[in-house]
Amino acid sequence: MKKFTFGWNVLFTVGLVLMMCFSAWGAGTIKIGVIGPMNFMQGKGHWNGALMAADEINAKGGVQVGKEKIKIELVKSDSNEFLNVTDATNAMERLMTQDKVDFVVGGFRTEAVLAMQDIAMDYKKLFIGCGAAHPELCLRVAKNYDRYKYFFRGTPFNSGFLVRTCFLQMGYVGELLKNTLKIPKVKVALVAEKAIWVDPMIEAAKGVIPKMGMEVVGVWRPSATATDVTSELSAIQKSGANMIFTVFSASVGITFARQAGELKIPAVQVGINVEGQKDGFWEATKGMGNYILTMDTYVHGVEYNDLTKKFMDTYEKRFKETPTYTADTYAAIVYSLVPSIEAVGSLDANKIIAHMENREYVVPSGKIKYYKDAQGKQTHDLAWGPGYLTSLGVQWQDGKLVGVWPPPKWKMDANSPELNYKGIQPYKIPPWMHK
Amino acid sequence: MGLVGWYVKKFFRLIRGEVLVLPSRIIVGLFVVFLLGLPLISQNPYLIRILILTSIFAILAASWDLLSGFTGQMNFGHALFFGVGAYASALLHINVHIPPWGSIPLGGVAAVLAGLIIGIPCLRLKHTYLALTTLAFPIILTGIIFALPDLTGGELGISGLQRLTNSLLGNYYIYIILFLVLSVIMWKITDSHTGIIFHAIREDELAVKAAGINTTRYKLLAFCLSGLFAGISGGLYAHYMRIAGPSTLEVSMSFSVVIWAVFGGMVTIYGPIAAVFILFPLLEFVRFWPEYRTMIFAVVILLILLYMPEGLIHWARDKMEKQCPRCKIRNVATRKNCRVCTAALD
Repeated sequence: MKKFTFGWNVLFTVGLVLMMCFSAWGAGTIKIGVIGPMNFMQGKGHWNGALMAADEINAKGGVQVGKEKIKIELVKSDSNEFLNVTDATNAMERLMTQDKVDFVVGGFRTEAVLAMQDIAMDYKKLFIGCGAAHPELCLRVAKNYDRYKYFFRGTPFNSGFLVRTCFLQMGYVGELLKNTLKIPKVKVALVAEKAIWVDPMIEAAKGVIPKMGMEVVGVWRPSATATDVTSELSAIQKSGANMIFTVFSASVGITFARQAGELKIPAVQVGINVEGQKDGFWEATKGMGNYILTMDTYVHGVEYNDLTKKFMDTYEKRFKETPTYTADTYAAIVYSLVPSIEAVGSLDANKIIAHMENREYVVPSGKIKYYKDAQGKQTHDLAWGPGYLTSLGVQWQDGKLVGVWPPPKWKMDANSPELNYKGIQPYKIPPWMHK
Repeated sequence: MGLVGWYVKKFFRLIRGEVLVLPSRIIVGLFVVFLLGLPLISQNPYLIRILILTSIFAILAASWDLLSGFTGQMNFGHALFFGVGAYASALLHINVHIPPWGSIPLGGVAAVLAGLIIGIPCLRLKHTYLALTTLAFPIILTGIIFALPDLTGGELGISGLQRLTNSLLGNYYIYIILFLVLSVIMWKITDSHTGIIFHAIREDELAVKAAGINTTRYKLLAFCLSGLFAGISGGLYAHYMRIAGPSTLEVSMSFSVVIWAVFGGMVTIYGPIAAVFILFPLLEFVRFWPEYRTMIFAVVILLILLYMPEGLIHWARDKMEKQCPRCKIRNVATRKNCRVCTAALD
């Protein structure tokens, strides 16, 4: 027994040393590290998108680097960043030094991405962030270009624009209510889960909504995991609200939508409801989540451009689900990285960066352009607005999630181009509102 | 020259008489030699990173043992000291431009103050009540951090911190030597008069009081000392990671410390250290199976605690050595008589 235990100890130690001291096998490939919380939906999106991209490129023979065709090899790395930031940095260090990747895509939690960003920058490796929305990630590029130039935002557009998009969608629905139901001044209830990240959004909403010609009737902050929100809903009903601006990222999104549907609260829901973006939402609310509107990136049947349908169809066929925005690792590889590698004919990060900075190109979720700041410094942050990335407003309509915003021929202002995304359906006001 | 020779002879005599006589001491000696000599074998940045982070968490785990293991003051919110150290170092470094060599010890001082602040209201509490109360403090501090985003960076934390040095080897040796020195200091504290009183407070506080010792003062001292070392480890962490964020105060951080200490064996200082040096690299090792990584980790801990309830190090030591019933000196398990008093060993 003692010998057996000793043997296992020796094996374990040797294994440990081998794991730490030797890099992954494989040569003659372009290695792309895919880092994300792989046990969560976000990380699965990262991996699925990258896998689809690699398979598609490899099926064509690989990436044309100068005269040579080189295949892509993906390295999956679980950052575990929701639970452990140290773990995330170790995963990034491992990608850099053990797996010796050429490029990295992924990342989700801002605190972890900031720490991971520093490691990638130490090794001068191009890192395309596909998850974290905080502006600081790109402000670092402007502040210290020489160090942080290797970081690009891949998806989503930054959180400031995310809030603006929500307000645009709210304005659109507000106008519809005004015109259809002849409501002179739309009353808005602000309902957001009790979470720190939501606070600035609520403050912004309180300031912006009156300027949009609507009235704020109150703020309700249920717990992010609340299983009963009937008291909040009764209060909202008493307040006479016609619209509920929701900000939910957690399970309360299901509870709120289900109970509001059961009680037939005469107010439409607009805003962010992450649970409402998922395929299983209809079953989870037993159909009571009908007519809620949430911001989203992809929805079946809506096309930003010619690339969307192909991407969505292939993704849905292969993974049996609608892609989440973190699956834009696909776009980061297929449309950002690979064309730049092929254009410069090299894997040299500096040459690729110079090429990427000055490109404008179409991806399945819109058009990519990288912003410069007021002083003309590169930020590597994504351009937002008509003609670039806008995301969508999606509504549950009788068991189907459909795109309803931006409406056909929508213009943000007089100078902006008209938007016409294929597959957009009319927004439906819940029937119990027509009283 | 003669003096040097005398010291060299004394050193070897010490090694022969005090270290080579017991397997546990030989292992510790080899471990120290391994840590100091590792860069001669490999300078792999990933390996170096893991060892640096392991040494930081080992200081943290040992500091928990110093408080909770030795005095029995069950602290379930040890991340508070770690977070205070990290944030204080980061704030002093970023806003007052104090270099890491100054900001890290000052982070430790800030954690001492935190120790005083939580120590005073917790003095009257015992067992579960104390554990739950201490658990609340890091959560309260997290709330404060989110309430003052202009100062603390909110959910982003404070980033852009300088490292102690930019050299890979330089960092390694600084962290490893600091770890060894701080661990020895903690161990010596527990071996001192103060340590014996800490020990006695855990065993029977009433008896210690009856002996005329001010237990309140000693319990506060334990909170402060533990806070100092945990705060230093927090500062070291922040400067190594170049970020001090809310994750340093997470409940999971507090629980990790308890798991490390219980896994290695409490009331030893070296037990929690050994546990961190086993468990932290183990978590990296199981990256080859990411889906089951946490589960494997949990199973290992469960098995150890199931079959070695006193902790791994206590178990291993009891297998290798036995204590003399008469003079309490430890001997190699194979000996029939005590190496000091020659009493028969069981």
